[in-house]
Amino acid sequence: MKMIRAFIRPEKEQEVVLALEGAGFPSLTKMPVFGRGKQKGLTVGPVHYDELPKTLIMTVVDDKDLDKVVKVIQDKARTGFIGDGKVFISHVEQSYTVRTGEAKL
Amino acid sequence: MKEITAIIRRDKLPETKKALDELGYPSLTIQSVDGRGKQKGALCAEMDSEMPESFCTAVKLRPTPSAYALEHTLPKVALYVPKRMLTIIVPDDVVATVVKSLIKVNQTGKRGDGKIFVSPVDGALRLRTGEKNGEAIA
Repeated sequence: MKMIRAFIRPEKEQEVVLALEGAGFPSLTKMPVFGRGKQKGLTVGPVHYDELPKTLIMTVVDDKDLDKVVKVIQDKARTGFIGDGKVFISHVEQSYTVRTGEAKL
Repeated sequence: MKEITAIIRRDKLPETKKALDELGYPSLTIQSVDGRGKQKGALCAEMDSEMPESFCTAVKLRPTPSAYALEHTLPKVALYVPKRMLTIIVPDDVVATVVKSLIKVNQTGKRGDGKIFVSPVDGALRLRTGEKNGEAIA
């Protein structure tokens, strides 16, 4: 299993989530975060924003679905301008459903 | 070292902390998150263990304007359930014990009990002393 952490534009969250639901991956966790990237924030005129609001979407998928899910996220979250965000993928060894206590996704 | 990420009900947090204390692994990070599972967040009685079954039926029989709007407005709205996310870093040999205890405390048998994920951690460092890996989390 892989954990996907996608940092996306807050305004794109709804679109990404509904697209994932349509592709058969409705389960996810989201949280608001603040961050900056290569451009060290954003300068608009005289005002410099050091940290920009993003939404972190976290989901765990089977290895075989990884490429599909990442592609859905990329298709929907991409605008082509700086600040579209990043996707990080990490390994998950085991997952449990608390309700049943079963060791499966 | 392993990272245990547990997404649990909000009202189970005090009990969970107590259970972890008793196991001897009290260190944890807590975050307020919103989530959805297989049911796409559109839960009623299952959403909260405190919510009575009759409430769900009442909502279905007499939909409120907002409930009606959620169902009939386009574009569709994604629904979420508020949860708490715990991150616990523990040595390899106690992962099974901690997971078992987390399941025992948080299990209500209703949908929305949450998920637990176990993933590997490559290193750790205690900033104050500079201790690394095993000693850093001891």
